[in-house]
Amino acid sequence: MKEQTDGEIRIGFYVCHCGRNIAAMVDCPDVAAYVGTLANVAVSRDYKYMCSDPGQQIIQKDIKELWLNRVVVASCSPLLHEHTFRAAVEAGGLNPFFFHMVNIREHDSWVHTDREEATDKAKALARAAIERVAHHRALEVKKVPIHPDVLVVGAGIAGIHAALTLANAGKKVHLVEREPSIGGHMAKFDKTFPTLDCAACILTPKMSNVGSHPNITLMTHSQVESISGYVGNFKVKVRRKARYVDEEKCTGCLQCIERCPVQHKAYPYPAEAHENGEHHGLPAEPELEPKVKTIVDRALDLHHPVEAPLAEVLQGVLVDRRSPVRDAVRAPLIAVLQDINHELGYLPEPTLRYVSRRVKVPLIAVYHVATFYKAFSLQPRGKHVIRVCLGTACHVRGAQQVLEAIKGKLHIEPGQTSKDRKFTLETVNCLGTCALAPVVTIDAKYSGNMTAPKVNQALKPYQ
Amino acid sequence: MATRLTSCGELAAYRKTVAAKRDPNRTCVTVCGGTGCRACQGLDVAAAFRQAFQEHALEGKVDLRVTGCLGFCEHGPVVTLRPKGLIYVKVTAADAKEIVEKTLLKGEEMERLFIKDPQTKKRLRTREEIPFYKHQMPVIFGANFDLDPQSIDDYLYVGGYTALVKALTTMTPELVIDEVTKSGLRGRGGAGFPTGTKWASCRKVESNGKYIVCNADEGDPGAYANRSLMEGNPHSVLEGMIIASYAIGAHEGFIYVRAEYPLAVELLAKAIEDARALGLLGKNILGTGHSFDLEINRGGGAFVCGESTALMASIEGRAGEPRAKHIHMVERGLWDRPTVLNNVETWSNIPLIVNRGSQWFTAIGTGDVSKTPWGGSKGTKIFSLVGKVNNTGLVEVPMGATLRQIIYDIGGGIKGGKKFKGVQTGGPSGGILGVQHLDLPIDYDQLVEVGSMMGSGGMIVMDEDTCMVDFARYFLAFLEDESCGKCTPCREGVVQMRQLLEQIGAGKATMAHLDLLQDLAEVVRDASLCQLGVTAPNPVLTTLAYFREEYEAHIRNGKCPAGVCKALVSYLIDAEKCNGCTMCARNCPSGAIEGDKKQPHKIVLEKCSKCGICYEVCKFHAVARN
Repeated sequence: MKEQTDGEIRIGFYVCHCGRNIAAMVDCPDVAAYVGTLANVAVSRDYKYMCSDPGQQIIQKDIKELWLNRVVVASCSPLLHEHTFRAAVEAGGLNPFFFHMVNIREHDSWVHTDREEATDKAKALARAAIERVAHHRALEVKKVPIHPDVLVVGAGIAGIHAALTLANAGKKVHLVEREPSIGGHMAKFDKTFPTLDCAACILTPKMSNVGSHPNITLMTHSQVESISGYVGNFKVKVRRKARYVDEEKCTGCLQCIERCPVQHKAYPYPAEAHENGEHHGLPAEPELEPKVKTIVDRALDLHHPVEAPLAEVLQGVLVDRRSPVRDAVRAPLIAVLQDINHELGYLPEPTLRYVSRRVKVPLIAVYHVATFYKAFSLQPRGKHVIRVCLGTACHVRGAQQVLEAIKGKLHIEPGQTSKDRKFTLETVNCLGTCALAPVVTIDAKYSGNMTAPKVNQALKPYQ
Repeated sequence: MATRLTSCGELAAYRKTVAAKRDPNRTCVTVCGGTGCRACQGLDVAAAFRQAFQEHALEGKVDLRVTGCLGFCEHGPVVTLRPKGLIYVKVTAADAKEIVEKTLLKGEEMERLFIKDPQTKKRLRTREEIPFYKHQMPVIFGANFDLDPQSIDDYLYVGGYTALVKALTTMTPELVIDEVTKSGLRGRGGAGFPTGTKWASCRKVESNGKYIVCNADEGDPGAYANRSLMEGNPHSVLEGMIIASYAIGAHEGFIYVRAEYPLAVELLAKAIEDARALGLLGKNILGTGHSFDLEINRGGGAFVCGESTALMASIEGRAGEPRAKHIHMVERGLWDRPTVLNNVETWSNIPLIVNRGSQWFTAIGTGDVSKTPWGGSKGTKIFSLVGKVNNTGLVEVPMGATLRQIIYDIGGGIKGGKKFKGVQTGGPSGGILGVQHLDLPIDYDQLVEVGSMMGSGGMIVMDEDTCMVDFARYFLAFLEDESCGKCTPCREGVVQMRQLLEQIGAGKATMAHLDLLQDLAEVVRDASLCQLGVTAPNPVLTTLAYFREEYEAHIRNGKCPAGVCKALVSYLIDAEKCNGCTMCARNCPSGAIEGDKKQPHKIVLEKCSKCGICYEVCKFHAVARN
């Protein structure tokens, strides 16, 4: 390898025409001429196709005959030909890392429409490269031994899939998961979007594979404590949390859970009331403010399914509503939520947990109902609820304008509450007073034949 | 209130004592207390009457009755005076005193409170004279005039619960079902399924429990006939359900009322309480051995809960998501048990059919039901006639009446003398019909044939100021909101159709959009899981069929002929006509109008949201719309 010995930098500069790709827009001879005037440039040429054999040979010849110790090529993208020219330079007897490449095709010729501007830019790019290449150092390509194993953190669907791909490619994989079980969020979903595939059907075969793959060591209920080292040579500390279960022997029969006297609040099994009062899968009993608790208890007692008026009246005739498929125990849920929503103006989250426990319905089912029906709000509402009917009759008679007027007055959109918490604006799809369209209600008061100018008047008493 | 009656004989005796206390010739003032009239301070009118009675020592001599909806909603509060049958409209609390002094005490009729015929300008005094009432056949709704919904005695006085006694004591359950089937009664909720057939299927199923359900969800915007029936004559619904419970062998019933009808809930609850107290509900009704009772479930504000499977899910305490009906409700419905679900109006028809017989019923309506109830549409239907007509309100007509009769003879024609453009029937699941359909006889099958449907009886009339493209978009936006999301064609297709319509309304579409819209509409119709999705494309398909020129105007000419689509209209103030009264500027919600008092105003186009309020409020016609 010829190295620069007496401190003199001797750069060989080559600008490629790339057929018409560069030459059509950049004046290559001009660029070559210009670069030839720069310091440290020993030779400056332009050629039709630098990447061709003859082109590469020009470089090799110049290195030998002109004692070049740096080479710059201005042509296409390095992604395309950097390795070509590095190989050529090496074949010419010079360390390939003394080569630098400048893109005057994608970055210059192909994005310009003005020849003068394009040529100026090429000159500027070349000039910068000439400056830079003087600072290049000879580098060696080395092979370094690394630890081939892979650690994957997290065994949700992404981690599981990554682990399987690596393990199937022959790598030894350590898969670390914080939770006691793998599967992550996908294991909790019923369907995937948008194909409506069964999430479990996709996930569980992979989970099973992970458990039995010879190349995968699964560490669940474990957490990465610290990582040190570098790529190819990491040192990772993993804390394996105490399980008190011999993983080798466990078959997953769940008997221990059923017998455990301490309730595990995160256990996701659906609820079935047990005689001894222990309920699985229900949220922990929340603390409710006494005023709120009174309201919720009253609602629950009013709508308790067993003490329903029908049961009283029809004693002996009434049939137990429980069917093998659908449990009747959650029937009063909507009525209970309606009463709470009516009293408090909305459904605070702790009340949902409380109702879930008392009605013995999983919290997710309570949420399903609370978010499905428009009558419920999970956010606090304003002091007065304004409802603008957007039913067909009202629409035809200008309800939209009334809505615009109210929006303009209160500066809120439907669904929002004003900053001073006085008003919540909602739209409704029909109030059933169609003959008086357009209709607006404020709390329980109906105002028919509403028009935009009358809005101010209607809101006044509440402001 | 009397003690519990334990036999039909006791009921008959009780009825006699009620009748004995009443004098049909006694003067009675009825004030409409339906929600519409309440919204116009109708209850204040009633209170003013009470006050005036007191002042003139008329208590005990003149009756005051607050009834349910009388149907003449455009002109409420409505007051009627018996026995003459005079009808006063738009009565205020101040008028009440005058009415007592002039009409009740002196017999003077107050001309100014009579409704004026828009053509002849003559004052019309009674139901026989008023076209709105004259052309109706109010066999069901007419009872509202005579009933205080909170009084079971009123209901008994007009013959209520005689059908129940007749059924329980002189008819077998099979005979009851037979009569209902022969009558040709079809479900008034919209689909028009033969009621008797439904009951017969349910009766056949063996089960340890069956249920009767009343669908009072009435989610269709623009329809409120069910509401008025519940608020005006709740007992007719109860009577129908009790008779059905006897016919199919059920002991429990549910009335599912939407959350937006608090008054209906209240009045139904009172009716149930009163019926129970008298022994018409509960164990061993009137000593006949049959037991039945009801409870009320409130909806949570979801349109889809009007669909029978979703409704039952809601009663069960779940989210109202429909299920495929491979197995029908009559076999496995509520809690998997056989369930008969019928609409409010269907229930109200039952006592009439039992009392007057199926032949009386088949004499009204269209078609021939002697071989199968599917052969025709019998009986009457209550429509809520709303929109751009002079007489909005509830109208009951025989099946087979034409749109022209309803809109012009009864409805009094288009408001403001404008031109009729179209009428929408059947709610968001229905279609929009045009001028060419005015002479269409209204019945289940004819409406389906032209691409619409009966639905729950909403009839919305539109004039030249309604844009059909916008109207179709409006319905799709509604359905998009209410779609439960379970099946892909509805969940995705309705959104896409709505977006296409928005593009057309924004003037950004090409003719290819219309083909795509048609295609998409057909797919959604053919592939959706429940009727919400299946009928969702109806507004699109009918407007494309009957109002295609309007779509083309939007696309080809970039114009909205009705002046509705915001992107295609602009508002301008004519400086010569504007006198600077500032009315428009004060009402502009976007603050887009500038101008000093008494100086011509100007609309700042960048701020203008095209809401059209300025156009509506300017008294000098200085705002031009193009």
